[in-house]
Amino acid sequence: MISFLVLLGIVVCFSAILALALNFQWGLGGMVNFGLAGFYTLGAYTCALLILKGGANTLVATLGAMAIVAAACALTALVTLRVTEEDYFAIVTLGVGEMLRLVALNEDWLTKGALGLSGIPRPLDHLIPHDVYVYFLLGLSLALLLGTLWVLNVLARSPFGRIVRALREDDVVAATLGKNVLWARVRVFAIGGAFIGLAGALHAFYYQYIDPTQFTNIVIAYAFMAVIAGGRGAHAGAIWGAAVVMVLLEGSRFLKDVIPWLDSDRLAAIRIIIIGVGLILLLVFRPQGFLREHRLQVDLVTATMRNR
Amino acid sequence: MIRITRRRMLKSAAALGAPLAFPYLNLAHAQGAPIPIGVGVPLTGNAGAYGPDMAEAAKRTAAKINAAGGVLGRKLELFIEDSESSAAVAANLTQKFINVHKAQSCVGYWGTPEGMSSRPIAVQNKVVLMVSSAANAITEGDTQGYVWRFQMKATDWGIVISRAAIKLGFKTVGVLGLQNAFVLPIMKVFEEKMKEAGRQVVDSLIYNPEQPSYRAEVERIFGKKPEAVYCFGLLPDFVSIIKEVYRGGFESKVVALSIMADAEGKFVQAVGNQVAEGIRHFQPMPDVAAPGYKKFVQLMGAPADRVFLFPPNTHDQIAITALAMERAKSPMAADWSKQIITVGNGPGQEVDDVVDALKLVREGKPINFQGAGSTCDFTQNGDQLGRGMGHWIIKSGKSVFVEYQKP
Amino acid sequence: MLQTAFNGLISGVIMTLPALAVTLLFGVLKFPNFAVGAMMTVAAYLAFALNAQLGWSLIAATAVVAIGFGVVCILIDQLTFKPLRGRSAITLMVASLGLGFILENLARFAYGNTARSFAIELARPFRFLDVRMNHEQMITFAISTAAMIAMWLLLTRSPVGRAMRAVADNPQLALVRGIDAERIIRWTWFITGMLLAVGGVLIGMDRALEPPMGSNYLVSVFGAAILGGLGSPLGAFAGALLIGVASELSTLVMPPNYRIGIPLAAIALVLVFRPQGLFGQPYIRK
Repeated sequence: MISFLVLLGIVVCFSAILALALNFQWGLGGMVNFGLAGFYTLGAYTCALLILKGGANTLVATLGAMAIVAAACALTALVTLRVTEEDYFAIVTLGVGEMLRLVALNEDWLTKGALGLSGIPRPLDHLIPHDVYVYFLLGLSLALLLGTLWVLNVLARSPFGRIVRALREDDVVAATLGKNVLWARVRVFAIGGAFIGLAGALHAFYYQYIDPTQFTNIVIAYAFMAVIAGGRGAHAGAIWGAAVVMVLLEGSRFLKDVIPWLDSDRLAAIRIIIIGVGLILLLVFRPQGFLREHRLQVDLVTATMRNR
Repeated sequence: MIRITRRRMLKSAAALGAPLAFPYLNLAHAQGAPIPIGVGVPLTGNAGAYGPDMAEAAKRTAAKINAAGGVLGRKLELFIEDSESSAAVAANLTQKFINVHKAQSCVGYWGTPEGMSSRPIAVQNKVVLMVSSAANAITEGDTQGYVWRFQMKATDWGIVISRAAIKLGFKTVGVLGLQNAFVLPIMKVFEEKMKEAGRQVVDSLIYNPEQPSYRAEVERIFGKKPEAVYCFGLLPDFVSIIKEVYRGGFESKVVALSIMADAEGKFVQAVGNQVAEGIRHFQPMPDVAAPGYKKFVQLMGAPADRVFLFPPNTHDQIAITALAMERAKSPMAADWSKQIITVGNGPGQEVDDVVDALKLVREGKPINFQGAGSTCDFTQNGDQLGRGMGHWIIKSGKSVFVEYQKP
Repeated sequence: MLQTAFNGLISGVIMTLPALAVTLLFGVLKFPNFAVGAMMTVAAYLAFALNAQLGWSLIAATAVVAIGFGVVCILIDQLTFKPLRGRSAITLMVASLGLGFILENLARFAYGNTARSFAIELARPFRFLDVRMNHEQMITFAISTAAMIAMWLLLTRSPVGRAMRAVADNPQLALVRGIDAERIIRWTWFITGMLLAVGGVLIGMDRALEPPMGSNYLVSVFGAAILGGLGSPLGAFAGALLIGVASELSTLVMPPNYRIGIPLAAIALVLVFRPQGLFGQPYIRK
């Protein structure tokens, strides 16, 4: 039972990193990434391919995945610089995400298509004894999660973060300040992308086998729920949101023990209906989530206090 | 805000870490405790039609063994879970079987993704994984004797189907395949064998699942007017394709797999007798004439002429697990995995009833177990030998059996 | 090649009704609604219930479901989108995503995952000008064209239609002129519901009935609506036909399993370079 909880914890960690990335791109940058599933796929496959076909070690593969997804996001943002409408941008990212998934499914010379990539090694698994390895992996995932949180928080409070927030609030005004400011959008999307890549790499390490069917649209729903539940812009909130969503999802698998008169097909459908209802309820009743976004005034206060 | 965040993170880290302080308890293999076996089958998802009977077969086989005294003096305890026809879910299930229920044998595993994702988990934990999936990749590489296939290998399907095609006299064929892990090896071998026999493959195409329409694919392959088109995929896409073929007035004969063209009668239900007329389909099946299979049908309480495609495999998986454990006098997979070939291939007395077989093993006599789904003879890398395919043709809405063929 | 182009025309024609729905909804409600696919699915299954299970003719079933579903859509709007009226387009999009999950899985809950078909005779083809076609396709053509003409008449000649266009162009001004926005929204949903119901039946006739049937079309339908210009019914019709034909023709030069790339490319190119599409009006929000 303990190992099971440890494994659940690892899943929560990389789901939380994904939620944090979405939160950074959307909450801070105002850029909704509906193509999340596709970029996540790109991250997982890049990591796996770098190890299996490129012979890289797990660290290099992870960094490679982060770099490639960051680049893909940067390219997407660059091409769509002119698209200022939030929802149009979301649709374009959806398109990019779908193309990425299509490539993963069809280009089997590269990705082995539907067969998937198996035998993905885990970081340092030849160094650490087998029976304690899962605890190490949990520790590593937690460390990476905290690291992600720290980096994104620092960026959010930096001058860069302020520019991005200004852009989000009113991009017409920001645009009059010059093109350099619009480049901030590209950078925000790319940085978020790097962490999507990190989450993808962890996913690959955890399952040790990836195939296109693992990366479906329900991933977007989970990530959005996590971010909305946690409160857009509030980084810690995204983590709690991810934890709550994942626990609810795994926990609902036990529903069938409680409701034996429904067959599994129906229970699976009900679970997704609950997700949809939950999403809508969250949007209607608590759009600001359960945690507050860090406000600029506090920034000033802590800044002045530090200067003393 | 940072302080609160850190505090909260530390709290949750502590909450997760606290249980680590408890000593690692391992009660599962104490004397007299039941032997746990994990059964992961698809009760929902694409393959949801097959899971329930597989689970039932496992339950009845275990009950039969338990009624006769169990294994090593202990009863078998099954943990049956829904793999949802999904790789990720199956991987989680396998983890759960091994870590929570302490199973040393995980059986079922209908689909290739489920088998592929569970394979590294089983091998790492030194637990036996018994699958019913076809893709060759599952037993490739070094499985250290922990992965065993109770099914016909995908490439063998291609061999049998191509041989039937040649016998039927088709000179030109087209091939349509779903972008799917087990279809691709079948297609490849099929095309190779047809070319070797001097037949022409006019065109071959792979299509994605869940497309809005398959008009273009049907147009391209059937438009070239081959004598027959071989389709490999799943039920929903096949229904769309066949409707398109009928509406387009194409005349090539259609050959498919039973999971597409029969699916327990659902195909004919979806397209109607007229459209389904003349379609042939193939599927690996047990040798229904074998006494082991007949006993299995009785065990399931079904009429004697019922053809079970997958549940006999699950019966055999439980049986072989029991026999190997009894033979090795140990419930630990590291010990009994080495005895699977000994009890399945022999040499020894041929026996097809698992309870009789257990008695013989306890008496120390060598056996050669003949299962319900096959003769349970294995190769060193875990594949099964001696399996054959059934060949049916749909007439007036019913699938009529044509013949049984081995590769 | 003529046959391929014709096949594309058929695919396009099937998409005209949902594309019309998308464009109408966007024009009046100002957000892209991702639930339209699942709505078609539910309507198709309702028609299936009447047709295959209760034995009604498909025409009667479709007519009844069309009107019934129009009412259902009004209800859905009251429950889901009305509480979110005035919120950002993203919020509404995400809500529509959730709604899509709910509707698709209601269908799955009721009917399971197996593919079903309507109780109708499958059509055999006849040849015309060296192109294979069948009477089912002729009916589809007729219905879609009739719907297009009806929409055009509605929007240009009827008071409701004019009010819809007013709300679409300038909601505040429409309010000043005494147009009750909520009433117009209800009308919009009613009409949209009818369009989606008929569209769903056409898809069910063409392919098969299964829970993802409507959402499979989402990308292509949105590509059509965006290409034609969100908010322009003529654009939806033209966009649907163009996307349909282009997708089919692309299979002559590309592997067919990538043809979903055509609407995806259309979406990206149009939104970046000419967001108003072919026939739409450039629209400035805020």
